[in-house]
Amino acid sequence: MSSSIAIPNVAVQNPLSRILRLLPGVALLAAIGFAGKILEQSINRYVKAHHIVFPNIEYVLWAIVIGLLIGNLLTVPKFFDAGIATYEFWLKAGIVLLGARFVVGDIAKLGGISLALVVLEITGSLALMTLLGRIFHLRPKLTNLLAVGSAVCGVSAIIAAKGAIDADDEDSSFAIAAILALGAISLVAFPFVGHLFHMSDNAYGLWAGLAVDNTAEATAAGALYSDAAGKLAVLAKTCRNAMIGFVVLAYAIHWAKQGQAKAVTNKARFLWEKFPKFVLGFLVISALVSAHLFSKDQVSNLANLSRWAFLLTFAGVGLRTNFRQMSKQGLKPFVVGALGEILIAVLTLGLVVGANHIWKL
Amino acid sequence: MPHLETPVPRNFFRLSLDAWAVAAAFTLALLVRVGVLKHVPW
Repeated sequence: MSSSIAIPNVAVQNPLSRILRLLPGVALLAAIGFAGKILEQSINRYVKAHHIVFPNIEYVLWAIVIGLLIGNLLTVPKFFDAGIATYEFWLKAGIVLLGARFVVGDIAKLGGISLALVVLEITGSLALMTLLGRIFHLRPKLTNLLAVGSAVCGVSAIIAAKGAIDADDEDSSFAIAAILALGAISLVAFPFVGHLFHMSDNAYGLWAGLAVDNTAEATAAGALYSDAAGKLAVLAKTCRNAMIGFVVLAYAIHWAKQGQAKAVTNKARFLWEKFPKFVLGFLVISALVSAHLFSKDQVSNLANLSRWAFLLTFAGVGLRTNFRQMSKQGLKPFVVGALGEILIAVLTLGLVVGANHIWKL
Repeated sequence: MPHLETPVPRNFFRLSLDAWAVAAAFTLALLVRVGVLKHVPW
């Protein structure tokens, strides 16, 4: 007689229904992003026609602001959620396509400088956040999550570290809320400081990529300054993202030694699992373009596709930033995060000024 | 003999977000390369 054992949670989901579930939210992202673009163009046309002196406000800011207003003032129905969450997919696809705007030589030069600064930034940020966590008596694992989030790559790093060091859900939601709130503030603060110091596009882009935590916010903070700054911000941020595995591995080993996390048996596999694969896609596209496999027009088409993908991302950044939810998470992690972020911004600004002096960015 | 009703593991067809993003970007690049996407406006 044969008996049958059904394994729970093996529901076969229809791929078509999964895609259909995403459509309303993706359509909302596209509508908000496109509205931002139209708004920028309309204001520019009006200002030009009426000879009014008015600063050019990029579509990036409009898309974020419209998203923020909708997300915080209206109640977005639940059926939009799945599609809104795809903003991270558009961000990563956009970064891969952005590889078309870098020839391999640029990546070797600017990427090499970025990588050297990233190593210094990560070391300084981890030390600073750990010190602040101790001064403010935060729980050690919460301090670690904040340190990883601010040193490497925001929310993805916190999620990766959470599993590796076996941290509480509460600690990780504190850390994520603090990092997201600070990311939202950096969208205003970074371009302001950049203009205040008359920073060059390259220097500003490098600074935004080094200091702003979440990849989406770093991309937006760069693009808010200029197209060229946005390009370099993505390159520097990608270098930071590539380091995620090493930092998380170090914390995992530390907590495993304390008997408070699972031991890492295969370090190479751990590093590969944590490595952000879109970085490889970015390098492949750049290599193909550098090998002249695409014509000039085709490269311009790839760059435009990347801009469209980022447009959806920026709309998602605005929609996803919910100040009411963030305020519920408590003040202490936010204060520690804010103090740390200010110190990291100053530290990285110093690094960029130094690099600019040496390499003339 | 027990028979497990799980011929296909749950994550068999599930790629990571990164993999989907890279696949989508490469597909778009291919469409540009072969001339299906001839002019992408901005």
